[in-house]
Amino acid sequence: MESRPLVVVGAGMSGTAAAIEAARSGVRVTLIDENPIPASMAALNVPQFFGQRFNAELQDRALMLERVVAANDALAEAEAAGVDVQLGTCVWGAFRNSDTSRVLDGPQLGLADQDRSWLIKYDRLIVAAGARDLGLAFAGWDQAGAVGARGAQRLLESYQALTSRRMVILGSGDLGLCTAHQALDSGIDIAAVVDVSAAVRGDETSSLALREAGVRVYTSHAVKQAVGSEGEIESVVLVAIDDAGEPVAGSETVVAADTVCLAIGLVPNVELLSLLGCDLRFESDLGGYVPVHDGWMQTSVEGVYVAGDVAGCNEDVTHSGEIARNQGRLAGIAAAESLGAIDRDAALARRRDLPADVGSPTRSENHASWTRWSQALVSAGGPGLLACQCEQVTCAELIDLEPPRYLQWESDPEGARGLRTLATNASVNPDQVKRLTRAGMGHCQGRLCREQVALLLAEESGTDITDMPLMSYRPPVRPLPLRVMWPHDEPEQVRSEWPKWFSPTHRVLG
Amino acid sequence: MPVDSADVVVIGGGISGLSSAWFLARAGREVVVVDKGMVGGEASGRNGGMVSERVDEPLLIPMAVEATELWTTLHEELGHPTEFVQEGRLQVAVTEEEMGSLFAERDEALRHGLLAELVDPAEIRDMIPGITERTLGGLFFANGGHANTQLTVQAYAWALQDLGGRLYQNTTVTGLRVVDDKVTSVETTAGDIAADVVVGAAGPQTGLMADLVGVHVPVAPARVEILATAPVEPRFPIALVGNGLYGHQAVSGNLIFGGGAHEWTEVDLITSPGKPNTPLIRNIARRLAELLPGAADAPVIRSWAGVVEQAPDYRPIIDILDHPSNYIVVTASAHGFGISPATGKVVSDLVLYGETNIDISGLGLNRFADYGPDWREKRGWTPAPLRY
Repeated sequence: MESRPLVVVGAGMSGTAAAIEAARSGVRVTLIDENPIPASMAALNVPQFFGQRFNAELQDRALMLERVVAANDALAEAEAAGVDVQLGTCVWGAFRNSDTSRVLDGPQLGLADQDRSWLIKYDRLIVAAGARDLGLAFAGWDQAGAVGARGAQRLLESYQALTSRRMVILGSGDLGLCTAHQALDSGIDIAAVVDVSAAVRGDETSSLALREAGVRVYTSHAVKQAVGSEGEIESVVLVAIDDAGEPVAGSETVVAADTVCLAIGLVPNVELLSLLGCDLRFESDLGGYVPVHDGWMQTSVEGVYVAGDVAGCNEDVTHSGEIARNQGRLAGIAAAESLGAIDRDAALARRRDLPADVGSPTRSENHASWTRWSQALVSAGGPGLLACQCEQVTCAELIDLEPPRYLQWESDPEGARGLRTLATNASVNPDQVKRLTRAGMGHCQGRLCREQVALLLAEESGTDITDMPLMSYRPPVRPLPLRVMWPHDEPEQVRSEWPKWFSPTHRVLG
Repeated sequence: MPVDSADVVVIGGGISGLSSAWFLARAGREVVVVDKGMVGGEASGRNGGMVSERVDEPLLIPMAVEATELWTTLHEELGHPTEFVQEGRLQVAVTEEEMGSLFAERDEALRHGLLAELVDPAEIRDMIPGITERTLGGLFFANGGHANTQLTVQAYAWALQDLGGRLYQNTTVTGLRVVDDKVTSVETTAGDIAADVVVGAAGPQTGLMADLVGVHVPVAPARVEILATAPVEPRFPIALVGNGLYGHQAVSGNLIFGGGAHEWTEVDLITSPGKPNTPLIRNIARRLAELLPGAADAPVIRSWAGVVEQAPDYRPIIDILDHPSNYIVVTASAHGFGISPATGKVVSDLVLYGETNIDISGLGLNRFADYGPDWREKRGWTPAPLRY
């Protein structure tokens, strides 16, 4: 198995900056990024909410690779610095020993491209896995054309394969405004920017510029329904929301649009950190569960660092790459020092080039605003909204803990089933709810629904959102076909010693 | 002062403990279940879901036959779904050696009066669409099946609550008070719970729990792994064992298969054991793609690892201790899910009558009378040293 001194996961602004910094310190750096992703994965809304709004060019790997490289100037700089850049390669697993698993001779990552999977060892790891879009259900969001802001940006700027002509943007924070400008610049009409709040939440200048460009902004509004035919969104029914968060009867406005873009919030991609057992702490200001890290971006697991949105993000950090790049540089310096490539004095000297508060992005509250959005959308769309698209679980089925629909089970209304009897002496655990209702159990592994599931369960059970446990992540954190996961490097010994069931060996082989 | 009291306090909200608790509640007993985490939070809620009459552990056949009978109406009795599917269990052979043992197992099954028949590769392909052409034959147990693990655990828990039973989740047992050769109360982080009878169904912690009353129960915890794919077509309802794997296709269409080397580990009474997967899931994926080439494009969407316990002879232990005389040990050696209804009935019988008409000879603790505290070292069942 190959072994690398430093692996950086994610070639966004922070990851690339980290890789360049460490490479210039003399470290042999491997920078891995999953883009361009296979079209089959994009169709499953992994890793972002792409909402089927991409064209067939996504299947042309060579073309996509060309565009991904062209859209990221820093990649050329990284290669010039000697970084080994591996694109089109996803990291689907991270394995290390712990109290109940001692068989590995060092920490490993599971990697894969379209055709095969393999493992590599590392000495130091920098996770710069970015953030994903907050998914909140509205009526009709399971049709083609409901997308997330990060998903749309990826398709638009990197792949140039977004097939949207006219877009409604949900969210008037900087994420929404920024997405609106990018779309306009690319010739996409913006039919509306919508927010449940009474005033635009994002940058004033930016919002003024949008209004001057003729964009209509609907404050105190939510989506009642995205209407379509043959599974494609064609128009969006907006409805005014009163001070209590309830829809105002008769206030509907119909807007023609083929795309509804969720730009309400961002959530750090902590999957790999969760697999590695890094301490995660709930910080609403930073988007939910984020890694605990020291002043040098190192997590609670020695040798594992974080940088960029994965370390915590909110809408404020979306339009400036400065924080991400600085965090990346700091993680690169720290990893280089811990590998002995530079000494302490050199590390401190380089750190002085960075702002003193580099590790801490600005903070702004997230979950109260997400809750307002969720409540408004559920009020406007009704309890039959699909909370989990993959497994077709509605908001009502979720909070009533209804057994999966395919069982056609009629529960005794007088029976014990319910959140109250489920969660005796503890807060509701989303994992327990997942296994009972299947919400979060599908292809996307809850990327689209887990925040809303947590919000709904917290609200229904009277639990503070900060006390809701993280719905667990399990490998593979990317949906990998059996034939891809297949270990072509499997030693013959694995076959000859494969046990029938329990057998007296404590080894886990290759 | 105790915070609660009951006729029976069950330690462990896994499948064996909950089944025991529900049978006892149904018989009119006041029951409390205590678990340090959530019900079915460990192996009981996250195993392969196999329900089978099988012959590799002949002493278990009476329990398995009883369990299979009970499973068919369990969801109606509980009033909550278990997703039990009884379309049989097929063991396929892909080597001559495996084929040889299928013949032997068939003979053994017929001796015990089980419904078992050998099937040829053509019949296997009809039973399991997309299965490999490489099978040499199979052994089909008509009464086998599978169920949804977490739904079943929760069904027991809710059915228990429906009968007035009480559940203390996230409550850790810190001690067992013994007076005059009886456990009089279970000491927990929620307070003391007074009991007439205590059922120790603590899974991998069974040995540590028995240590609290000075009794040695030899069980070793081990970590095992399973994976799940996205739903695939066409469906097959038969539980399947072969190519080094065991598993089934859930009603939802997901393939759920596990197997491969396990790892001996340690647990403690306070914390929940870690659930780390290893790269073994790749090797499992390969064997599944070999077994079901028709499903090779199915994406793996999750996997899980969990800790199960094993007695030295891979069989359950169900017994009333001699001292203290009101403590019943229940541990299933990774057979727990499939035989759970029978386990509940047996434990309930033991509490109510001191005996049961289900044959559990061979599952008593006395078979390990010679096993000292160092049995795991002697057996080589100890965890590997931590290498880094």
